[in-house]
Order: sequence, then structure tokens, then C-alpha cells
Amino acid sequence: MRLTMPFALLGLGIFLATPVAAADKLTLLLDWFVNPDHAPIIVAEELGYFAEAGLDVAMIAPADPNDPPKLVAAGEADVAISYQPQLHIQVDQGLPLSRIGTLVATPLNALVTLADGPVDRVSDLRGRKVGFSVGGFEDALLGAMLGHHGLSLADVELVNVNFALSPALLSGQVDAVIGAFRNFELNQLALEGRPGLAFYPEEEGVPTYDELIFIANNAALGDHRLPRFIDAIEAGTLYILNHPEESFGLFIEGRPELNDELNRLAWQDTLPRFALRPAALDTARYDRFAAFLEAQGLIGPPPPVADYAIQLPR
Amino acid sequence: MSNPRPLLILLGLLLLWQGLVWITEVPAFLLPPPTAVASRLASAAPLLLDHAQVTLLEILLGLLGGVLIGGTSALLMALLPPVQPWLLPILVLGQTIPVFALAPLLVLWFGYGLASKVAMAILIIYFPVTAALFDGLRRTDPGWLDLARTMGATRWRTLYHLRLPAALPAFGSGLRIATAVAPIGAVVGEWVGSSGGLGYLMLHANARLQIDLMFAALIVLMAIALALYVAVDRLLVRAMPWAPLTLTRAQP
Amino acid sequence: MHPASAPQPDFDVAVRHASLRYGRAFLIQDLDFVLPGGHCTCLLGPSGVGKSSLLRVIAGLEPLDRGEVACTDGRPLAGRLAWMSQRDDLLPWLQVIDNVTLGARLRGERADRAKALDLLERAGLLAQRDQLPATLSGGQRQRAALARTLMEDRPVVLMDEPFSALDAITRARLQVLAATLLAGRTVFLVTHDPLEALRLGHRIQVMTGHPARIEGTIEPAGPPPRDLHDPALLARQGDLLAQLADVRDDAA
Repeated sequence: MRLTMPFALLGLGIFLATPVAAADKLTLLLDWFVNPDHAPIIVAEELGYFAEAGLDVAMIAPADPNDPPKLVAAGEADVAISYQPQLHIQVDQGLPLSRIGTLVATPLNALVTLADGPVDRVSDLRGRKVGFSVGGFEDALLGAMLGHHGLSLADVELVNVNFALSPALLSGQVDAVIGAFRNFELNQLALEGRPGLAFYPEEEGVPTYDELIFIANNAALGDHRLPRFIDAIEAGTLYILNHPEESFGLFIEGRPELNDELNRLAWQDTLPRFALRPAALDTARYDRFAAFLEAQGLIGPPPPVADYAIQLPR
Repeated sequence: MSNPRPLLILLGLLLLWQGLVWITEVPAFLLPPPTAVASRLASAAPLLLDHAQVTLLEILLGLLGGVLIGGTSALLMALLPPVQPWLLPILVLGQTIPVFALAPLLVLWFGYGLASKVAMAILIIYFPVTAALFDGLRRTDPGWLDLARTMGATRWRTLYHLRLPAALPAFGSGLRIATAVAPIGAVVGEWVGSSGGLGYLMLHANARLQIDLMFAALIVLMAIALALYVAVDRLLVRAMPWAPLTLTRAQP
Repeated sequence: MHPASAPQPDFDVAVRHASLRYGRAFLIQDLDFVLPGGHCTCLLGPSGVGKSSLLRVIAGLEPLDRGEVACTDGRPLAGRLAWMSQRDDLLPWLQVIDNVTLGARLRGERADRAKALDLLERAGLLAQRDQLPATLSGGQRQRAALARTLMEDRPVVLMDEPFSALDAITRARLQVLAATLLAGRTVFLVTHDPLEALRLGHRIQVMTGHPARIEGTIEPAGPPPRDLHDPALLARQGDLLAQLADVRDDAA
């Protein structure tokens, strides 16, 4: 996608006569189209942190969010952005993937309903329709949240609305949606003049987890490009923390289509959620979530966390 | 089965598939071997059957609706020529708009239930059915039309007794295409918004990385489409004994 | 064989001051032509001269640019004529008997099945009444067409080279059949076979020239169908052929 950028940086480097080693290529598969969740990556790219680390990062946005993990597992890409809950399922299905870093360290997923709608509490969902986009574990999330209030999945009608979560809610076709990101869809609804009411999984009986993580193929964990990549991400994250306004300017640099009210609002809401220590791993957190998924019947007995999540040695 | 050839072809394809998996060592989450898919077909049979019923209903209703609406459009254009310049552009437009672009709109308007999938299927087959029947109706043998005029036939009677039966072979071609294509409409509709059906199941299985289940659902879908096509084809041949097939092995 | 209940028409069909364009030239210009009632008029002429066009104009299938087609009793010709073309125009999806009763169906009337069976018997097709046209020979199909024409029971019968596509023997037989069954009606037979004209026509005329004129009236002795062995007939054929050849040389 942003292939012109690395070339420009390389040219700049030569012009400045800074000794730069020939950059290593790295393919990064995003989870979705470029959005504020990717801020540290974009900022690292724009500020040349990747180039300084000797990396030429090619960012590719997939049409189907289910593809990136498969492609990394098949060796077709180096790193992908995925979701911690998905990782547990992928590992359970035998994909040779491991988490090598965290991008967003809190859940973003939320159960969202319209503030002016008939649902004020989770228990009001009895007999109602809940829309979801197929992520593979949304019903587990919803099931746990409903169970927290004495309901079960059988008490609601689940409808696949693909990724049109807000339209489905706004048109009244469904009474709530699961799989909406609290930093995005809530702002989207507010901009439409119909603010949403969100219920957060971590407040409703679901163990907390990392929403967005970096994953790589198990065979490539010793690759020395990976720690350099994570370090650049860390530098980008710190810059955003220290210079939020300038960072947004870098984010929309050359991407005018992202310079709108929705992205600005989402940006503000996402900033506090980036992993301040992208490389750091909380093993107990992963254990806890794996146990949760196993209890929900989504995966079999989970392997030790070390088999699928590591802290890269630097 | 009297003719072993289709079975042999099927066997050949299965062997090719298995061979491909062995040789390329492709991981199961990209392309599962036929053995895995076969065992999943067996173990998940009730689940597959449940969702297959949903999709089958969508396809059948879509076919019925599409044939009724398309047939009526064609008859209308044949009966009232002033209608043609209005309806023909709509026909062509309906065909050129990419299905994926329309699907979310249909789902928004018709909801996530049966209606939007049926609407998608109808939309997809509207053009083939209408165009085929209309073409058949307007290319009636002029000699027959002359005869009908000298006999004092009205416009309507000429349409009913002459143009319509004469147009059946052309309509049959359109109907065959529609039968082959209607399943696509149903499945695309399910992808965009649904709570059941083989398309929905495939999405779910894909997200859960149960690729063998996804393939199993795909195979069931293909089986449905194939069975439907054969049934419609046989029906059409039966309905037109006066238009025999002349491109068989027996003929030069 | 007796004629099929022929109503002796008490009117002539007159074409007056008729003009018909073909492209930029006039096919016929200010032409006057009469079909005497109850007689068979045969029209010969080179291809393309306009015989069929004149026939179609009388049948009401094409409009004149100028002039009119009228009946001497003042009533319109429409509804009082039956049409038989060179092709049998049998509808392939209808059985023979249903083809014979086609006119009634196209007018929304009840078909007289008994009369149809009677006509089929006279035409020698009773055994084939339930068959589809595809199973009949060329001669049988044209006989069925003849039966259909007679079923209409109209005083005026217009025929456009009805037997030209048949072999000589079948043609000879059908000429006899037609002449017998059509006796007493006003028949206008367009043909390119001088022998056929001499056998069947009370009056034979030749159409020639650009724009076409009708001339050279021959009225052979004796009622049609005339005997093929009659030397006078054969001599006449020679004359006619010569006349047509002259015409062709003039026109060439």
C-alpha cells in the first residue's frame, strides 16, 4: 500500500549521506483498512522509525479480515495484526502462529445498543435480535455477557449483519450489535445523532484481553527483523503519547480520506488504549482468557501460553 | 446408474484434489484433503442439512419469483410495445450492477430474514429469464403470424396461442441459466446478512478456521445447485416433446 | 369426392388502381385486377415480379400505397378469406387435428371436431390426427395445411405456391385433391409452374414488367382438375412456357 514511502525515505537517507544499510523487507498484513487503531504503525512509518531500524515495511490491508492469520501461517507474509481471542482459536486449530507484540492492550469490542432504544440493560435483550459480524467468537463473548445477567444465547436471535453494524442498529433491524468497536462505532452513532449505549465485555463477566496483537509464524520467531519491528512500534507509540496533535497530522499525511470527524473522534478514543509496552507479555492474562474460551466450548484444552505467545528477546 | 461417466469424473476430481494436497503439502487450514471434508460431511450432517434447507428454500422461492416477475415483464413488453423502451434499460441496468454492491441495500430494506435472500436471487435471474423469453416472443416465425392475421386472431390470442408456445425453447435456455445462477444470489445475500443457510455456515466456519466444514458446506451447496439444474433440464425436455434435442451422440 | 360444402360466392374480388412500392421503385402501379367469384385464377410470372406481394396485399397482410382491394358486393374481404402459403405453417407443438382447428382457437370459438375429422379423412390423414407434424412427410404436411384451409370454410382462398416444395408425384396428387375440395370457391393461386396453372385454373394470367402488368389471359376448356394426358393441355404448356421465356428475355 504505502510502498512509495520507504523508497522516498531511502532516497532521503542517501541524500543526507547517512550510512543506511540495505533495508530488510517486511510484509505486514493489517486487520482491516487503515484506521486510528493503526496509529503507532503509521507514525513509525512516517517518522522513519522503520527505516532507521533497517526495515522496509509493506503494509497490506485485506478485503477479508479472516485471511491475514492464514497467510502468515502459510508463510506468505511476515507479520499480521490479529485479535487475541482469534489467536486462541487459530492455535486450537493447529495454525503455527504466535503473538510477538501487542498493539491495543484493552478490549475494543462492545455490545452496543441505541441510547434511545428499548434496551437499557443487558437483561432487556431477552427475545430481541443481536447483530454480529462473523469473527468466530462473538457468540462466546455475547454468551458470557448474557450469562452474567442470567440469560443465554437461546434467549436472543443472532443475526449475521456482516460488517454493517451501525446501519443495522440505526435502521432498527437489530436491537443490539456485538463486535462493534467502542472507539469507532460509538462515534459513528453519535455523529448520526443517535448515540449508542455500550456494555463492555470486561465489565460483564468476560476476562480482559488484548484486542489487537501482532502475530508471526512460529518458524520465524528467531527472525531478527521482528524485534526491530516491535521497537519501532514502541517508538511510534511513545511519540503519539508525547505529541498527540502532530501525530494526527502524520496519520492523515497523504491519506486525506481519513481526515474526517469520525476518524478524529476515534483517534481521541483510541490513544489511551495503545500498549505502552508493545513487547511485554502478561502470561496469566492469556491463560485466563484461554480458560474462558475453553469453558465456553470454543476451544479444547489450551496449550501452555509459551507455545503461542512470546516476549521477543532484544 | 446406467452411465458410469459422471461417477468416474467425480472420482478423478477427488483423486486430483487429494494428490494436490499430498504433493504441495498445503496446510489443512488453506485446503483440507477430501478425506477430512468427507468425514466432516458425515459428522456434521444434521447441521449441514439444517442450513441446506434454508438455502434451498431461498433458491426455490427466488427462482419462482424471478420466473414470475421476469415472465410477466417479457409478456408485457410483447403485448404492449410502448413499454419496451422503458423496461429494456431497467433490464440491462439490473444486470450490470454488481451484486455485491446491491446486497447490503437489499438486506437493509428487506431485513435479515428470507426476504432479502429471495430478493437477491430474483434480481440475479431477472435479466436472463426476461431477456430469453422476450427474445423468443419477438422472433416468432413470420409465416405463422401471417396465418394468424388472416384468421382474424387478436393480439392477445396471437401471443397466447402462437408466440408463447413458440418461445418456450428460448425461455428454457433462460430458465437453465437462472437455475445455475440463483444459488449465487441466495448465498451472497446470506454473506451480507442472515441467521442461517449454507453461506452463513461457510462464513462461520471460515472465521472459526474450520475449513473442512466450510468445504463441506460448499460441497452441499454445489450438490444442491447441480441437482436443481438437472431437474429443471429434465423438466424442460419433457415439456417440449416437439422440440427434440438434435445434438446427441446418435446424430452427425 | 365431392367438394367440401362450397358456398358459391356471389361476388368478385377487385383490385383497383393499386400501387405498391418496393424501395424507390414501383412494384405495381395503377394496376387493375379481378378475381371472378367461384373460379380459380392462376397467376404466373418470373420471380420477383410481385406475384406474392399482390397476393399478400389481397390477403390484407400488406398495405397498398395507393388504390384498394374491394368486393363487388360492397362488404369487406377481411374475414372472408383463407390463406395457404408455400410452407405448411403447421405449429410443431400441436397435433395434426389441433393444427387443422387452429383458426377457431385463434378466434376464441369452439372447434368443430367432427368437421375437422371429416376433412382429415378426405385429405387421407385421419390416421395421423394425433401425431405431431414432425412425424409427417412433406406431402402429408401440405395436406394437413389444405385441411386447415378448408376448415376455415371461407368463400375466397388465397394460395402462394402451395405445392412448389413437393416432389412431382406428390404435387400432382395434391393438385387433384385441392381442385376437388376447393371447387366452387374463389381461388387465387400464385404459381411458377405453368402445368399446374393449366390443370387447376379456370383463368390463367401472366404478370410481367417493371412496374408489373397482368396480361395474356388464357381460359382453358373443361373443369379443373384437367387430365395430364390431354395433348391440348401439354401443347398449351409449351405455349405458356414460350410466353414466359419471352417475358423473361424482355425483362432481362
